[in-house]
Amino acid sequence: MRLTERLLRAVLRLAPGSFRDRYADEFLDTHRARVDRAASRGPLAAVLLSVREVAGGAWAIARLRAGLPQEVRLATRSLWRRPGYAATAIAVLALGIGANTAIFSAVNAFIFRPLPFADAGRLTMLYETNPEFGWTVGLAAPANLLDWREQVGAFADIAAYTEFVNRVTYVKDGEPVLFGASAVSGNFFSVLGARAALGRTFTWEETWQGNDAVMVLSHDLWVTQFGADPSIVGRTLQFGTRGFEVVGVMPPGFRFPTNQTQLWHTWGWAPESRQAVWFRRAHWVRPIARLAPGVTPAEADAQFQAVVRRLQADYPETNRVMGAGLMPLRDFLIRDVKRPLMILLGAVGLLLLLACANVANLTLVRAAERSQEMALRHALGAGRLRIARQILTESLVVSVVGGVVGLGLGWAGVRAMTRLTSLGIEGATSIALDARVVVFTFLAAAASGMVFGLGPALRSTGDNLHGALTEAGRGGSQTKRSLRTAGTLVAVEVALALLLAVGAGLMLRSFWLIRRVDPGFRREGVLAVQFTIPTARYQDRDNVLAFYHRLAEALEGRPEIERVGTVGRLPLTGTSWSSQFQAAGWPPERVGFEILHRRADRGYFEALDIPLIRGRLFEPGDRAGGPLVVVINETFAREHFPGEDPIGQRIAYDRVATESSNWYEIIGIVGDQHQVSPAQAARAEVFENRNQDWDRSNWVVIRTRVEPASVLPIVRNVLREIDPLIPIAQARPLRDVWRASMVREEFILTLLTVFGGVALLLAAVGVYGVAAQAARQRTREIGIRVALGAAGPDVIGLMLRRSLVMVGLGLAAGLTASLAAARALGAVLYGVAPNDPATLAAVVGLLATVAGLACYLPARRATGLDPVRSLRD
Amino acid sequence: MAEAPSVITPLTYEILLALASQDCHGYGIIKEIEERAGEASAPSTGALYLALQRMESDGLIEEAPGRPTSGDDARRRYYRLTRRGREAAKAESARLAALVAAARRKRLLPASADA
Repeated sequence: MRLTERLLRAVLRLAPGSFRDRYADEFLDTHRARVDRAASRGPLAAVLLSVREVAGGAWAIARLRAGLPQEVRLATRSLWRRPGYAATAIAVLALGIGANTAIFSAVNAFIFRPLPFADAGRLTMLYETNPEFGWTVGLAAPANLLDWREQVGAFADIAAYTEFVNRVTYVKDGEPVLFGASAVSGNFFSVLGARAALGRTFTWEETWQGNDAVMVLSHDLWVTQFGADPSIVGRTLQFGTRGFEVVGVMPPGFRFPTNQTQLWHTWGWAPESRQAVWFRRAHWVRPIARLAPGVTPAEADAQFQAVVRRLQADYPETNRVMGAGLMPLRDFLIRDVKRPLMILLGAVGLLLLLACANVANLTLVRAAERSQEMALRHALGAGRLRIARQILTESLVVSVVGGVVGLGLGWAGVRAMTRLTSLGIEGATSIALDARVVVFTFLAAAASGMVFGLGPALRSTGDNLHGALTEAGRGGSQTKRSLRTAGTLVAVEVALALLLAVGAGLMLRSFWLIRRVDPGFRREGVLAVQFTIPTARYQDRDNVLAFYHRLAEALEGRPEIERVGTVGRLPLTGTSWSSQFQAAGWPPERVGFEILHRRADRGYFEALDIPLIRGRLFEPGDRAGGPLVVVINETFAREHFPGEDPIGQRIAYDRVATESSNWYEIIGIVGDQHQVSPAQAARAEVFENRNQDWDRSNWVVIRTRVEPASVLPIVRNVLREIDPLIPIAQARPLRDVWRASMVREEFILTLLTVFGGVALLLAAVGVYGVAAQAARQRTREIGIRVALGAAGPDVIGLMLRRSLVMVGLGLAAGLTASLAAARALGAVLYGVAPNDPATLAAVVGLLATVAGLACYLPARRATGLDPVRSLRD
Repeated sequence: MAEAPSVITPLTYEILLALASQDCHGYGIIKEIEERAGEASAPSTGALYLALQRMESDGLIEEAPGRPTSGDDARRRYYRLTRRGREAAKAESARLAALVAAARRKRLLPASADA
């Protein structure tokens, strides 16, 4: 907030001394008082006032100084006289700056905006690794976490949380409402340094069973569901069969670890779990540590590794190959987005350069046209420095106006981008037009003003200004030279445009290939609805299964609905859990690593048209209590039973399976379904039978004969008949699930395509501008040639030659650069190499055509002129 | 300063009005305008001091010698109307009153004056 004060101070420094001496102090004093008062009404009011204050200050000083910045007035007037130039230059710059503002806003949200934690620089993420399973930044097993916490002195404390939210059902005024709940350790808030706005946060003791009937609410939930009633603290809220006492409410904006988190509860671990094997084998908590005072991350890591090695030796059964490491908090939180962000930032940087080259070009052409005016001014006594200053001032005026328009465009761009995907660190930061973005925009504007204005300004001080007067501006050396410079700029523009267009072309091709990938299931005409069955009235397996059975039966009785099934997790939405396994009869050293698990029923495969390759699907006879049966996917069969028949094999999810293990018989093989995204190949997966491995939370998939979204009311009606107190957690057509799984690619693609398109347009405008200028300046020469009998095509060829050479040079340079730069795209591409010849050829062809046309049109127009007229003019 | 000193802009008039009842510092003037016309209509601090400077050099206002109320920050300078300023405020008020009377006659405002 104090940034505005600094800006105002800077502005006041420009005021006349008399004003400054008399008013500056109370000016700032008044400003401070106003902003403080506005801030007490909320951040938005403060920001709005601050913007007004800075603009008002600048305006007032400009009024006071109306006599002084003569250059500015001169520049404005001179720009006003040629609105075409000014408008074009401003529009081009605004595009470049706007794109940069938008992307920088995203970068800012991820990389620079402060995390909502105290002294976040001392926080570090801990992770476990397992080379056999291919885990690199893996979750931790609770027992390991507890040992680290007690044994690594370099960490002041270690907390942990689950990365996903649970939907919990709360009955409010007789209606079920779902709240997003995050489970955490009791010291979660204290490690993050986050305090409650009301009441208190958890204590470490509350991590454990018996002390865990407590809950902290988010500010948002408190306001929307509990009317911001402060007496909520101390009240007990009923969730299913359990009551939780609300001990605190967090301040506004705190929602870590997910954007859906509305309340926090503790795990309530049983103290005796610490000795249980599963507590060290199942990896499901995300640990976060605060470094002890004075300890460096390297020192902490050294101590940490010693403890990790000790645990490997002490618990070989679970920890033999488990490694661990630490990573700065922000690096961890942005690990998936950093590369795409940097790619986009690089691309918009190029776009801004292209815009600058374009405006420099315009400015040069204009300077050539104005060389006589400048020479006249010089002859009348204006110093070279003064003339240079004027040209530079004009550039700055253009770039500042371009910057203001760009800021608006950029913000519109941000609004558009957030419609595609949420921008900001999940649960921690969000995108906003903050001081950093504004400063960035104006630095970008000022820098671009310098870049495109300095050249022409410098030239005006070095040129033979008198020569310009005598040359009478007709094909003299002055204009030739400026055309040569303009030609070089055109080559640069073409090269930059090619670079951006190649990026867009590669993404386009990659996205096209991704969309053509068959994810392994039917996407059209399927609605997926998620339910979580509350414990209060559905205490055991039979109640829960009966509910799902009744629901499926009732739905399938409707004419709009063809088939209904259930599945624990939808394909293309990630993985739930994974394990190792052994098959009966395998030698002890043979182990299958990292198989994924999912729970489904027969209807799931049938509703989604998932082919049964061999064997059979689950039958009604595969009952709870009977022999356990599973279905595997093709990849599982291929990877783990090469050359064998998996059907009839018995598997157990243990490294060393014994008779006491849970044994599952493989009864069928189904087609692969991509688990994470179409771009990631399907992994080995086993489907447990929903009737045997049951859970409360399931997706009901409904294949419809009508538009899938339109059956949601039917589902609601059916549900109301069966049990009106069960809420629908989520409902999504599978088509949307499929689209959402490609949103990152779509996001990058959309932006790069926009940049590529703008780049193409700018390059075309640049080429056309220079070609037209050349044609204008050679009108007389052309007139003579045509009068002397030169044929039209010959003259056109003559005129085209130079422009085409420039375009060719630009294409060659751009191609070389893109071969080097496209490698950066490699990580986000699918199925296409960064140097894909077809894409490169297509892009070069497109750009050559566009640039060629931009050269040809002016040349043709010039030769089409009546020679007599062109000579006379 | 091209404008003639006699021009009373809406902001100038607001300031004259604020100072008519009591001497006031810059922030106080803003607060009074905000109370009367709403926050969105209050001038930016820049516009306020630009106007104050102009009014001071035109002799409509001057620095008040004393600081009337206690408790306020001693750095704040208080302004008061000069005789000329008060006269300008009266003249402008009369002009506006005449305009309002005309508006009433044309039924742009309800007839009753005391509301």
